[in-house]
Amino acid sequence: MKEDSSYLIKYTSSGLYCELADAWIDPIKPVKRALISHAHMDHFTFGCDEYISTYETAVIIKERIGKEINIKTYDYEKEFKINGIKISFHPSGHILGSSQIKFSFAEEIWLITGDYKRQKDETCKEYEIVKTDYLISESTFGLPIFKWDEPQKTATDISKWVNSSQEKTSILFCYSLGKAQRILNEISKTNFIKNIYTHSSIYRMNNCYKKLGIDIIETNKLEQTKNNSDLKGSLIILPPALNKNSSLKNFKDRQTGFASGWMSIRALRKRSGYDKGFSISDHADWIAILRTIKESKAKNVFFHHGDSEALNKYLKEKNSINVLQFEYKK
Amino acid sequence: MSLKKFSELFIDLDSCNSTNKKIGILQNYFSSNEALENSWTIYLLTGKKNKRFVSGRSLKTLFSEIYEYPLWLIDSCYLKVGDSAEVISLLLRNMITGKNIKYQDVSLDELLNKSFPELSILKEDYKKLRVKEIWENNPIENLLVINKILTGTFRVGVSIGLITKSIAKLINLDEAIISHRLMGDFIPSEESYKLLIDKKINPSELNYKPYPFLLANTFEKKIIDKSINDFQFEWKWDGIRIQLIKRLGKVSIWTRGQDLVNKSFPELVEKISSIKDDFVIDGELLVWDFKQSLPLNFSLLQKRINRKAPSRSIQKSLPIIFIAYDLLEINGEDQRDSNLEIRRNSLEKHLYNWLNESKEELSNIFKISDLIYPKNWEEVETFKNNSRDKGTEGLVIKNKKSIYTPGRKKGLWWKYKVDPMQLDAVLIYAKGGSGIRAGLYTDYSFALWKDGELIKFASAYSGLNNSEIKELDRWIRQNTIDRFGPVRSVRPEMVFEISFENIQISKRHKSGIAVRFPRITKWRKDKLIKDADTLENAQKLMLNK
Repeated sequence: MKEDSSYLIKYTSSGLYCELADAWIDPIKPVKRALISHAHMDHFTFGCDEYISTYETAVIIKERIGKEINIKTYDYEKEFKINGIKISFHPSGHILGSSQIKFSFAEEIWLITGDYKRQKDETCKEYEIVKTDYLISESTFGLPIFKWDEPQKTATDISKWVNSSQEKTSILFCYSLGKAQRILNEISKTNFIKNIYTHSSIYRMNNCYKKLGIDIIETNKLEQTKNNSDLKGSLIILPPALNKNSSLKNFKDRQTGFASGWMSIRALRKRSGYDKGFSISDHADWIAILRTIKESKAKNVFFHHGDSEALNKYLKEKNSINVLQFEYKK
Repeated sequence: MSLKKFSELFIDLDSCNSTNKKIGILQNYFSSNEALENSWTIYLLTGKKNKRFVSGRSLKTLFSEIYEYPLWLIDSCYLKVGDSAEVISLLLRNMITGKNIKYQDVSLDELLNKSFPELSILKEDYKKLRVKEIWENNPIENLLVINKILTGTFRVGVSIGLITKSIAKLINLDEAIISHRLMGDFIPSEESYKLLIDKKINPSELNYKPYPFLLANTFEKKIIDKSINDFQFEWKWDGIRIQLIKRLGKVSIWTRGQDLVNKSFPELVEKISSIKDDFVIDGELLVWDFKQSLPLNFSLLQKRINRKAPSRSIQKSLPIIFIAYDLLEINGEDQRDSNLEIRRNSLEKHLYNWLNESKEELSNIFKISDLIYPKNWEEVETFKNNSRDKGTEGLVIKNKKSIYTPGRKKGLWWKYKVDPMQLDAVLIYAKGGSGIRAGLYTDYSFALWKDGELIKFASAYSGLNNSEIKELDRWIRQNTIDRFGPVRSVRPEMVFEISFENIQISKRHKSGIAVRFPRITKWRKDKLIKDADTLENAQKLMLNK
């Protein structure tokens, strides 16, 4: 086995790092060169000299931060080189523009999945199976208790939840980028009959998706609603940060829900304080992680993000693949 | 009639935080369901004494063996979920999807009266087959409920109170009647449900049932504006609250938790049987030190409760005493609508007669709760502060005009507890919580100094608010020194103020002391571990008591 120091990708205090290309992947501190897997803000850091991402990711990031940055874009599959290292983006199915990042050097391939899912999602490109020698997979939901329902089932549950509460304002909380658009898309295919209002942060992302050619149903901008009594019986979609009394006090008769993979656990559902939890996730569940490892044909796998203890042990017992761990240097 | 319907009820109740909405949901359910199924539903939801067909541990083992699934992986999942029944129902989704089965709905009666009881008599191999069949022949949505019934753990935030309210609304009858009907053992049957919703009240129907207890509120400062003469003062004993019932010559001893405990206290049953009158008396049961005339440690009382049919020598070494508070019924006549003054007089008079007439030594086991007579509210304070000398935990203050009504109504009785004892201790271990606290480190162990070493002295689970719990959980994960199964030992850095009601010598603990009802009252971020208390300080508390 190779020494940690000779790995093409290693783990540093700023995040995953390819030394030969002198590039960080989704760095958590400002660095010289940053490859960005997708536009969620916990994968983006201000102050890097140079950013590289897919076109869609770049458009969304600029829309979110509201200013220009030095960002270079490449299409999916398109190979580019930095210091002789071949690099390419491949769809990861997480949100619009999200990518896995593939590195090839001296007959050796490394693949960083970034955040990914294997479920169907019409608002972004489907996960592409990429063959690799070394796989760095996310493991946010790395336990077999996580198994996602079909998104249509969750959307139908949400529809029913709203439709059956005429007298209430239904407030659904979810991440404003990716999850909100996916839910809107799924809901539009159910027999949903109510008005939908979205918070400006979500409304903006909807427009951004539309600009990038994704069909998202029309919603009302919540901030432009004058009379809160109009909202009775309708659905309001808000980012989770607004789940506090000060933001909700205007909605008198309300029921609240939260759409997240974590909501499949009753204790988390109860603790969250929402009335209802809808289990839907843009990450890979246990089965999807195992399937992805298998399909990638990787001989070696690392886990990144989330609790990977169970996955490590499970794969070691099965003895089908070499499970590696980064040396975490503080 | 169906499990499906019950499962839907469970989901509806579980995803609703409003009491009124829950009552509405229950009302709808009861009115559209059969009596027998309703009786099982009440049995399950009130869930104090649900029969356990399979333990949580065996449920996990069964799953592991049936599907050849690693047990350690199930345990890892459990840490996140905190409920065996739920873990297995979540994991089952990986095992039994994609099969086309035509499900047949079953009734709760069939499950609880037939299928599940049969499991316990099956040999291991057949049991596995049978459980597998149950799991695979039911739709996924029902599996959580099935597993919860199997493991006898049905807690869904539906209290007896909520059931009482919805039934009372359903048939438009006083809540007190329904609550009385639900006291004691509720044995599910068509008859028991029909009796519950019967609009006619049959006086003898309640013969063997205790009355719903009147509970004291926490002391409110505002009552000191009133005259001291409006109130009756008694000691607050740390025993178990019971109702001692003798009706038609038959004695029953019911705890506040609605357990019938006759078997644990045969000497009380025997001596009470000799009294000529029938009655219902509210009071407290304690293990008593007759030499010092003080109650003994609560743990000894627990020992007595747990021992069914205690031997003569146990009855002798752990002697019990019943302290009477209140007379609720005498010779078939309900006294609860008379005010406290009248009830107290009547209690004193009757007890005097009984003690005089008894050939048995009734006074050795049956005492009246002594009244205290503070002259003013300052003296109330003094009495309260000295209550530990009496082996009590404070005072109970009762409005002399109060009638005896169920529950914790305002303005009737108050408990005025002595300030807790406190020590500053260092967090040394943390364990994952269960139930709603699953996935968080919420069970903490604390230590005191002894000769430069930290010695564990208490464990506590409560006292921090949600954001503190989260913060401490994060800190624990980052400051773990070692792990033993679900327990982490952490860097000794955090100091907490621990409050407790009592402190006692204990040979079972390394520290040599045991505290009663410890809880966290403050996160002392301002203190360094060298400022924490010593074991010596704890021993001083014990001496000064």
